[in-house]
Amino acid sequence: MEVNDSPWCEKYRARSFDEIRGQDLAIDKVRAFLRKFPAKKALVLHGPAGVGKTSMAYAIALEMDAEILELNASDLRDREKISKIVGPASSQKSLFRKNKIILMDEIDGVSATRDKGGLGEVLSIIEKTAFPMILTANDIWQKKFNLLRRKAELVELKEADYKTILKILMEVCEKENCVVSGDVLKSIAIRSRGDIRAAINDLQMLSKMDSKELVKEIGERDKEQSIFSAMQYVFKNARINEEMLRVFNEVNMPLDEIFLWIDENIPEEYSGEELARAYFALALADVFRGRIRRQRHWRFMVYEHFFLGPAIASVKKYNRSGWTSYKKPSRILKIWLSNQRMAKKKSICEKYARSCHTSVRAAMKDFLLLRFVLKNPAVREELGLSDEEKEFLDKKI
Amino acid sequence: MIESYSSEVWTEKYRPRKFEEMVGQEEIIRRVKSLVNSLNIPHLLFAGPAGTGKSTLALIIVRQLFGDSWRENYLELNASDERGIDVIRQKVKDFARTKAIGNVPFKVIFLDEADALTREAQQALRRTMENFTSTCRFILSCNYSSKILDPIQSRTVVFRFQLLEKRDIKKRIEVIAFNEGLSVSDEAFDALYEASEGDCRRVINLLQATASISPNITPELVNTIVSKAKPSDIKIVLDYALAGDFKNSREKLLDIMLRESISGQDVIKAIQKEIWNLPIDDALKVKLTQKTGEAEFRLVEGSDEFIQLEALLASFILAGRGEA
Repeated sequence: MEVNDSPWCEKYRARSFDEIRGQDLAIDKVRAFLRKFPAKKALVLHGPAGVGKTSMAYAIALEMDAEILELNASDLRDREKISKIVGPASSQKSLFRKNKIILMDEIDGVSATRDKGGLGEVLSIIEKTAFPMILTANDIWQKKFNLLRRKAELVELKEADYKTILKILMEVCEKENCVVSGDVLKSIAIRSRGDIRAAINDLQMLSKMDSKELVKEIGERDKEQSIFSAMQYVFKNARINEEMLRVFNEVNMPLDEIFLWIDENIPEEYSGEELARAYFALALADVFRGRIRRQRHWRFMVYEHFFLGPAIASVKKYNRSGWTSYKKPSRILKIWLSNQRMAKKKSICEKYARSCHTSVRAAMKDFLLLRFVLKNPAVREELGLSDEEKEFLDKKI
Repeated sequence: MIESYSSEVWTEKYRPRKFEEMVGQEEIIRRVKSLVNSLNIPHLLFAGPAGTGKSTLALIIVRQLFGDSWRENYLELNASDERGIDVIRQKVKDFARTKAIGNVPFKVIFLDEADALTREAQQALRRTMENFTSTCRFILSCNYSSKILDPIQSRTVVFRFQLLEKRDIKKRIEVIAFNEGLSVSDEAFDALYEASEGDCRRVINLLQATASISPNITPELVNTIVSKAKPSDIKIVLDYALAGDFKNSREKLLDIMLRESISGQDVIKAIQKEIWNLPIDDALKVKLTQKTGEAEFRLVEGSDEFIQLEALLASFILAGRGEA
């Protein structure tokens, strides 16, 4: 990837309170928390994806002139690392800066149990730490967070409204020197449904096309935009929810085509065990598709959507961040190209099948052997092969 | 009886034209012959592997029934080539509209590869058969009679064709060698037979392919042709998968399927055979074969064969690392 191809949503992340849009109420609450610290030692920033939870955490660090120590779910099992962060941190001051902040992003994925590595560890860190701890979560109202909610200050980040997002998009365009019409920006902003990250990702995707093409293909792109964000939703989120059952319904594209998009892009997101489980889910979705087709039992659609959405999302333990460049399905194109190349083979086999009491399919399968038989000029004459067909047979494989 | 129309394709040129010329299937021929002699046949179902004489016997039946005018009274359809049961029904309807010519009061429709039809299509076929029973007889052919609906089986007389024995195939090869002036040693015949798995059509095609190089048929020459006509190796697909390279594995797979025009079923079959030959321990062979079997099961139930194969390859990657 080229340097200027780095994800714009990272490049234009808000870095300070001033740069965070439309979250004034939340910022006030954060300031109050910092003032009162250590009355409560942990702050939970919660809200839907892409509203700026992580950006807010970094802005807090900037505001406090603090160093950020990031913890993730797998660190919870590592006592040594924890005590390195929490233990000394609670007694010593940072060498370079006055303050420290402990950040734990996306705690939705942390298990509820009190064993090692679970939320119990998180609570005990809050107990011990001498520095503010910031946690982010999509849904803080889950039962497993009961205790945490009592110990921490909760600050909700609201979805950004459409005008705010539009403004952000226009600024990004200006800085990136890219020309995108106001209508296009508006439709991106509306479609993003408050998810700033998704909106910026969409913009980056669109910006890669040259401007003439962009205007022409906006209808087509429109369609693709929604498949992109639907796939992103499924591929990036680890926790399943009901929205995932509908997410592909809302894409303006036949379900068969959606299968191809998912099929193409699973290896872009998953590998190893996740890859195998995701393909297993896709295979099950396909089985139900086959059953619907054969038995006309439309209720199976529920399962088709379940295995395409939630089941494929559920193969990973934690939410994914980062930006993936999804690919257009290539299989149909390859099949088409091959059919073009194989057209002669097919027409030859049709002629052969007609006079030799066999099927075209069987002849195609045996073609490598039949090539030798079809060398005979008398046979060619008999089947009525055209000059092009003869030429095709004389070519080297 | 030499017809004016004689083919240069040996499978046609040497296709038996009388009951007496057929090899193997003696019991079936005896019974079919007596049915034909009564000038009235029921619907028939020929079940058995490829290249055992199903189409040939159907052709002999119509020649016997209709003599020189057999072409006017015979319709040959292939279920795997026709687009859907509606096309088949329309063709049957058009064909059955006119009365049979000659003494026999019906026409004959041969539906090859009837097991390629779905259950629903077979239901429709059953009704079609009933509607035209007064004017038409059906001969259905299939590889597995279990894939044919019971109500259809119960309306037909079922004949099960056995794989031809080596000596039977040899008889035909000798006839061809004599007429075409070829010399075929015993070893060369063995090579022809081995490469064809008892499929007589394939043996003859292989013989003609080999004879296109030289009339002196040797085992070496046969094997040269066999290796040239061998479809690309599915092994490379498995190698990539077991090495953990999913993207290359699936790309190779699609390449092979498109270039060789083979179906997902064919691929599964090849994979299942190839697992035997892989240099891996027995426990892994068992695991891979189990995964393959399950994939084949889902492939039959599903609608996109390629997705099912991809899921299989993805599971091989895990198995290759000893994780599943």
